[in-house]
Amino acid sequence: MFGEGLAKGLKYTLKSLAKKEVTYSYPEETLQMPDRFRGIQKFYPEKCIVCNKCVNVCPTDCITLSGKPNPDPDKRGKIIETYDINFEICILCDLCTEVCPTEAVVMTNNFELAEYSRDELYKDLQWLDENDTNIRKENKV
Amino acid sequence: MHELLMSPPSWLHALIFFVAGAVLLAIVLGFVTYAILADRKVIGYMQLRIGPNRVGGRFGLLQTVADVLKLLMKEDTIPEKADKSLYVIAPAIAFIPAFAVLAVIPFSAHLQFADIGVGLLYYMSVSGITTIGILTGSWASNNKYALIGGMRAVAQMISYEIPLVMSVIGIILMTGSLNLVDIVMEQQQLAFFIMQPLGFIIFIISGIAELSRTPFDLPEAESELVAGYHTEYSGFRWAFFMLSEYVYMFGMAALTTVLFLGGWLPIPGLGFIPGVIWFSLKFMLVVFFLVWLRATFPRLRADQLMEFAWKVLLPAALANIFITAILKELI
Repeated sequence: MFGEGLAKGLKYTLKSLAKKEVTYSYPEETLQMPDRFRGIQKFYPEKCIVCNKCVNVCPTDCITLSGKPNPDPDKRGKIIETYDINFEICILCDLCTEVCPTEAVVMTNNFELAEYSRDELYKDLQWLDENDTNIRKENKV
Repeated sequence: MHELLMSPPSWLHALIFFVAGAVLLAIVLGFVTYAILADRKVIGYMQLRIGPNRVGGRFGLLQTVADVLKLLMKEDTIPEKADKSLYVIAPAIAFIPAFAVLAVIPFSAHLQFADIGVGLLYYMSVSGITTIGILTGSWASNNKYALIGGMRAVAQMISYEIPLVMSVIGIILMTGSLNLVDIVMEQQQLAFFIMQPLGFIIFIISGIAELSRTPFDLPEAESELVAGYHTEYSGFRWAFFMLSEYVYMFGMAALTTVLFLGGWLPIPGLGFIPGVIWFSLKFMLVVFFLVWLRATFPRLRADQLMEFAWKVLLPAALANIFITAILKELI
């Protein structure tokens, strides 16, 4: 019949009027990311053994770190002194967390990195240590 | 209101009518503000979105107010090569008829601003003047997109005005009057959308085309024409074009209510509800229908547009006139 499609379309839009919307009110409601989401790293300074594996594996060379000898003379090895990730070039590829033998660097589900200045994208040890929300539960998969 | 219209003129009357007109203008502006919001909200819900929800609470109640304030603060640009005087008066030519047609609409049995014997003819003829405003604005902008958009708008509006006028002749034949109050009173038994179904459909279609709303929004087809006839306009003058568009929506919805839905007359048995409420309920139903269509249909193709007006709507409207005349003779 002529005009059948018009009626069909009108019926469809009228039905959609009552349906629940598919959009999120994003900044108010934070998005729940799936576990295994690759977000901003959380760093545990006390776990780090300064093995430099993350620096070596990083494909974009965005991690820089330095260590110092352990102040306790009875213990061998180094402890971490500075640990910086440059989020201008970090691609959140998850390789640093996979390679880390002590799980000192792990992924979180946080992803908001917008800043007013590019300088603020250099995140240091303290910032990465304080980034302790929504930490990914399983890291060695 | 009626005695006031019939009494001899004086300065006091001029003052009263000025105030009444200002009140109507305020109501119309309020309608436009919330019609735009309702447009966006309803379309949003139909597309499974929320729509405006930032300014003015969860429902975005101040969104349009904010938009208008932004428009008023914008720079008022006039292109260097434009015809300045025409460019400046075009928005006024487009807007004034849009408001002037509201004078004859009877909002209830007693609330009417002018009781003209040829009220329907007045509406149809005055609303045609807006076309000149659009053409003037598009020509004066000296811009190819504006001119093409303006030409399209004018061609469409003139073509669809004919079936629009033809479709109401059936009503005029049945009422024997062009007065809108008489037309409403004629519908006490049965509203005209039941007695004139063909005329009603033609009126709605060509009315939407007159408003240049979807699916007849070719004059503003942004994918082809940038913005249509108001490409070069900005700020306050652009707001006037948009305002006239939405005031016409008010006018057309009110006219549909009066002509086909029985105006302020209640549904039998519910006479205790005042006429103005009935009028606004029917009016809002028409406005919702317009928004609903906009959320549903795609735009018509430019070559189908003219054919549809001249080859489908006009013969159907003429047939409606003849059928009405024959039935009136027989019964």
